[in-house]
Amino acid sequence: MKPKVAFFDFTGCEGCQLEAINFEQELLDIISAVDIVNFREAMTERSDDYDIAFIDGAISTERDIARIKEIRGRAKILVPIGACACIGGINCLKNFYSMDEALKIVYGDDAKYYDTIPARPIDAVVPVEHYVRGCPMTQSEFLKVVKALLQGKRPDIPNYPVCVECKMAGNVCVFEKGETCLGPVTRAGCGALCVSNGRICWGCRGLVDNPNADSEKEILKKHGLSVEQVLSRFRMFDGYSEVAK
Amino acid sequence: MHSQVIAKQELAAFVENLLRQGEVVGVRRKDGKYVFDKIGSPGELCLDYDVTVLSPKEYFLPQREAFLKFELAEAIKAEPITQAQRRIILGVHPYDIKAIQLMDAVFSKDNPDPNYFRKREAATIIGVDCLNPSPHAFCASVGTATAESGFDLLLTDIGAEYVVAIGSAKGEELLQKHAKTRDASDGDLSKGKTARDEAARKYQLSAPVSLDQIPRLLEENYDHPLWEELAQKCLSCGSCTMVCPTCVCFDVQEDVALTLTTGERYRQWDSCLLEDFAKVATGENFRQHRSTRLRHRYFRKGKYMMERFGIQGCVGCGRCITACLAEIASPVDTYSRLKGGS
Ligand code: SF4
Ligand code: SF4
Repeated sequence: MKPKVAFFDFTGCEGCQLEAINFEQELLDIISAVDIVNFREAMTERSDDYDIAFIDGAISTERDIARIKEIRGRAKILVPIGACACIGGINCLKNFYSMDEALKIVYGDDAKYYDTIPARPIDAVVPVEHYVRGCPMTQSEFLKVVKALLQGKRPDIPNYPVCVECKMAGNVCVFEKGETCLGPVTRAGCGALCVSNGRICWGCRGLVDNPNADSEKEILKKHGLSVEQVLSRFRMFDGYSEVAK
Repeated sequence: MHSQVIAKQELAAFVENLLRQGEVVGVRRKDGKYVFDKIGSPGELCLDYDVTVLSPKEYFLPQREAFLKFELAEAIKAEPITQAQRRIILGVHPYDIKAIQLMDAVFSKDNPDPNYFRKREAATIIGVDCLNPSPHAFCASVGTATAESGFDLLLTDIGAEYVVAIGSAKGEELLQKHAKTRDASDGDLSKGKTARDEAARKYQLSAPVSLDQIPRLLEENYDHPLWEELAQKCLSCGSCTMVCPTCVCFDVQEDVALTLTTGERYRQWDSCLLEDFAKVATGENFRQHRSTRLRHRYFRKGKYMMERFGIQGCVGCGRCITACLAEIASPVDTYSRLKGGS
């Protein structure tokens, strides 16, 4: 029997769901391998009967908490997709304000109509089985996870820093070009996409399991960043983690 | 081994001819540094570089290489993939030539690696003496500043011309067919030697102990507190090994199509510095601590390679020194610290 798959969105731009539709080569294979029963971005039918739930977006209201718990109760396998769902992502920038302040900045006089709580990743509320990281989610990793689930295997997602892939790509190190980068502590899997295209790594895929964040912070300081700048680097995507505090 | 001399403008014509033969990989500039890459015209080529970001090892051991494809039908079918592209690699420095010789030793031991040797046989290596060493290199002190074998041709810049040492019949034929050269005189050869001798004096770093002492130095310092001290800074990023011309470890994985009916097995560069390198299926990790992984790298370079192959595991290119943001990957510094403290 084909596994039933559902997609749900929380606080985020839904870009990750778009990435899931954006498969050109593989879309037909995905559709024939699984039964998609819930996907607001792509279909109108709804079902509460599913095996695998892919979640995009972060948790940022009390309602979100109730809803994700309900989904968790139904799904056998829960997989956050994208930075917002996996690590909180840019939503957590607001966590450095008081919630009242954040509401005021965003909604002004209408703030009283909204409630909000500090943003958090899905696994801060319910346990999850796997992750598809990146902003937007890394498509090849999504495929990897789907294939592993179809085979009943644990997906093998890199637990090494972006530096590995960056070196393999033959890039000149960002630090050697006089800039700074979060690649040394950020989980690989993107193929060092940003650095390979002349940018720096901002850490959208989150940290490796045991990042040496202290050493990375020292290195950033040695390359000219102030303590505040170092923290704001980490807060861009990973404000929920300890290293950004 | 006899030598020829080729004028610099004739070298361009030679490269043009080589480009007509097939793929030519050479050194070109990238973001202020140098890299090995396919070249399309002689003008892109850089022969007076100091060091490249990655060594040419990727042309023998690609970053990712499929070596088996399989079909999961009623009966499982599997077929090896051994691809090799005919390729001329131009501008390889002596230390990288020595590193390739080391790879030859590693991949021929016990069970010769067909994927490696296919590529090795399909490659022509045209070396060039390194006359502008990188500030992080220490080749002169570890005997890798020059090479007597391991190349098909080897160029030495002597001003308006290059001396071309011929290292193989393949190299000789290539030169005869495609280049305008003349026999090298004793004067040319001594100019070449002078250039190499001068270059040897330009190295800013040197190994603090002689090669044959390194295994003992390491052995005696297996429990030295330095390993833990360096590990505090180590990012476990693997950069020191990715850029190293003598690091050859790979991981083997499988990629199955969504239909679950076909797939391939591939290998991909791995690194003993990475957290999961020595982790096995039960979850046990034999080198769980950063310090043990970091130490292992030095032992592998300085001791194990010597014991197993009789060849030093480090050619002194200094790429690891450049690549390590934590500034702890330098064999020169580490051996000095161990020596000072022992
Ligand atoms: S250990 Fe460092 S210096 Fe030695 S060969 Fe490797 S990269 Fe070069
Ligand atoms: S020694 Fe340096 S380059 Fe090597 S893994 Fe540690 S931090 Fe990275």
